[in-house]
Parts: sequence; structure tokens; C-alpha cells
Amino acid sequence: MRLEVEHLSKTYGSTRATDDLTLHLGDTRVLVLIGPSGGGKSTLLRLLGGLETPDHGRLVINGRTLDSAPASLLSYRRKNGFLFQQFNLFPHLSARENIALPLEKVHLHSRPSALEIADAALDRFSLLDHSSKLPSQLSGGQQQRVGIARAIAHSPEILFLDEPTSALDPEMTAEVLELIQELAETGQDIILSTHEMGFARAVADQVAFIASGKIAELAPPLRLFENPESGVCQRFLSKIMRY
Amino acid sequence: MNRRQQTANFLVAIALAGSVAWICISVFSSLGGQTDWTKAWEYRGALWTGWKITLMISLAALFGSMIFGLLFLLGQRSSLPVVRWSCRAFLEFVRDTPLLVHLLFGYFVIFAPLISRPLSEAGWNDKLLIGILLLSIFEGAYLGEILRGGVESIPRAQWESARAVGFDRFQIYRYVIFPQALRRVLPAVAGLFVSLIKDSSLLSVIGVTEYFYNTKNFISRSYAGLEGYIPLALGYLILTLPVAWLSHVLEKRFRHET
Repeated sequence: MRLEVEHLSKTYGSTRATDDLTLHLGDTRVLVLIGPSGGGKSTLLRLLGGLETPDHGRLVINGRTLDSAPASLLSYRRKNGFLFQQFNLFPHLSARENIALPLEKVHLHSRPSALEIADAALDRFSLLDHSSKLPSQLSGGQQQRVGIARAIAHSPEILFLDEPTSALDPEMTAEVLELIQELAETGQDIILSTHEMGFARAVADQVAFIASGKIAELAPPLRLFENPESGVCQRFLSKIMRY
Repeated sequence: MNRRQQTANFLVAIALAGSVAWICISVFSSLGGQTDWTKAWEYRGALWTGWKITLMISLAALFGSMIFGLLFLLGQRSSLPVVRWSCRAFLEFVRDTPLLVHLLFGYFVIFAPLISRPLSEAGWNDKLLIGILLLSIFEGAYLGEILRGGVESIPRAQWESARAVGFDRFQIYRYVIFPQALRRVLPAVAGLFVSLIKDSSLLSVIGVTEYFYNTKNFISRSYAGLEGYIPLALGYLILTLPVAWLSHVLEKRFRHET
């Protein structure tokens, strides 16, 4: 995917979530956003995913300029997949229905074909045995895996993951990270934000360090983690690597 | 329950049963042998017709209140402030004044002068239709508030998630928000529907010949007492108990589901 983000600003009340943020990215498969909490990672991800519209600025993704008309944002969202930290699944629907319903109602598959795709997606992540369970009957890791299965069932152009493991314990985190890595290896374009630095390093093609609503540094993982150039990034990394 | 609680429970049960029995016995003995069930039997035709009309009013107003409730809900969630505030003001007015006033005012001041004649000329029972409409609006106002509470209790993440999978506004309500919100508000909605059935008796004040009206007529004409009031209570119970029972069943089922 290619990204051109120019002078992007988004304000919530008096908080500047992204502040005149600019980012140019040539052909990249996996972009990882890191940085302190409240620095603007989530907002950037939500803007890129078409869940929010910017106050100012321009977003061009794969050559297509995102406009803020609701209808065109809706069709843009339908092409992509999105996963949040938690409470991502619909609690009144089984794992299988969580995947099949959007396929049927949004992507206009027939019911049998939607169910077939849902089962295939569940099977791929070894969740087929749990297909008829409600989210409350699944572990956190299983829920997130179903969430990923739902986000990729319609073969999205780009998969957006907003801190997909921050609500999980270490074992489940590993479960979900492995799955994301597997997706990246099969060629899925991914933009994700995370606090798992080891994972960022292993999976990213490019890492963007975001603080105070701006991109402080953008580099391939090896360079960014070994030789961060900006002061904020150095301080952040040395602080979190201490323990 | 431990032994002491069991004993206490038993004693309270005896005391309650004793009090109820005492009240019944005193009521019946004060009436002497005057209770005459043949009177009620003579008026069975009118009572049965009244009961059927009450059933019909309840069903129609149930349906009507759902439509108004939904409209009030959507009105309050409208993106236009003027719609939101008008809705709010109207709901506040409706909920803070008695149904009796709405019926009298709505019928005699607003609707009767406007549409009574065309309705009767078209062969409709204008009192019945206007009564149903006013009852629907009144209960719809409460239903709208209940639904709004339910919809607003659904966490933001669910709206977000529904948008993220590509649902449009209608689909978000239809497939994600309403199914969850309705489960939460089901007990309140069932309670409201029970109230609606009971409130339908107030339509008698504008002269709708429903169950309460006909029973009242029968009582005043035949000087009946218990023979009138017992069937009256039973007639309403037959309508309300199934609603209450259904709500318990559904509530239990949804509780296991989520």
C-alpha cells in the first residue's frame, strides 16, 4: 500500500489528537504505529480507516483521496477490515454469525455462501469447534481471533488493527500476534498500532513513532529500534526497554 | 433457609392467610345473601362485547405505541437540534400530565371538532379510533424513553464496531443496536404493555364502550357489587397475565443467551 498524509489535524474538544501530521510512505506491506498512549496512534488509525473524518488535511491511500462524504466513507470502510482493542464482537451473535452477518448484509453474499466463508475463516484460525459459541463463552484470545477472522473474511484491501492485544494476557497475546504475523506473511496489507515492541520489530516493514499528534520518526524497524534519531523516540524506547 | 427462618416463614404465611380469609369472610357476611350471579349472567352479552373491545383497543394501541415509541426514539436521536428539542419538549409534556387529561383534552378539544364528523360519516367509530390514537401517543412517549435508555446503554464500541464492518445507519440499528437494546429493556417494555392494557379502561371517559364502561353500566343499572367487580378484575387479568408471563419467559431465555 501507498500512503500520503498531509497536514492532518483532528481535535476532540480541546485535545489535539493529530496535529498537522504528515506522512509519506512508498510501497509498504506492514506499517506499525508505536508511541506513548494518547500520542495520536489510535486517532491516526481511525482516520486512515475511515472511521473519523479529519478537521484539516488530506489522506491519499493507494492513489485514492479519501473524501469525507458519508457514502464514500462507508464504501471505503467496506473495502477494509478493522479490529479494536476489545468489545469488538457483537455479543448477541455466535462467532459464526459475527462473521457471516456482515458478509451477507454488507457484501451481499447469499446466506449459504456467507456461512461457508465464515466457516472457512474460523477453520483457518482453528476456531471451527467454537463457531456456535457466543463471544462471552470464548476466551479473550479466541474473541480477538474471531475478530480478526471477521475483519479479513471479505479479503480487505488493508487490515487496520488498533492495539489488538492490549486487553489480553501474555499467553493470549502470543496467540493473536502469531496470527497477525501469519497474515502479514501471506501478503495482507496491515496498519497496526501496538505496545509490543518485539512484535513491531519482527513484523513491520516500516515503523512510525507518533507523539503529541505528530510523526516523530518513520524508519524501517531495525534502524528505528537500534538508532532512533529523534529525541522523543530515544527517550521513549530507553524508558520502555529498561524493564 | 435455616430453622428459625423456616419457622418465621411459616408463621408469616399463617398470618397472611388468616388476614385474607378474615377480609373475605367479613365482606361476604356484610353482603349477606345479596350476591346474585344471575345478574352478571344476564348482562353477559354486553360484558363480552366490552371485553372484546378492550382486547382490540389493547392490541391496536400496542401496535400504535410501538410506532410512536420508535418515532420518538428516532426524533430524540435526530441530527437536527430542532427535531431533538421539539421531541423532548413534547415527551416531557406528555409524561408529566395525566392520561385522563390527554383523553378529555385530546378528544373534546382537538380531535372531535376536527375529525369526528368525517370519521362517523365514513362509518367509523370516532371515539374508539381517537381513543386508540391518544392512548398510543401516551404509551408511545414512555416507550420512546425506554427505548432511548436501551439504545444509549449500548457501549460506544458496539457502534464503532458496527460501522467498522461496513453496516450503514439502518443496518447498525437493525442488526447490532436494537437486538441488544431490546433484551435490556424487555422487562420495562412488558411492564409498559401491562399498563397500557389497564390504562385502556380510561377510554371510558370519552364514551368508548369498552369493558370498564360496560361493566360500570351493568353495575349501576342492576345495583350489582361483587358480581360486577370480580369479573371486571378477572377480565383484565386474562389480558395482562399472558403479557407478564411472556416477558418472564423471554427475559429468562435472553439471560442465558448473553
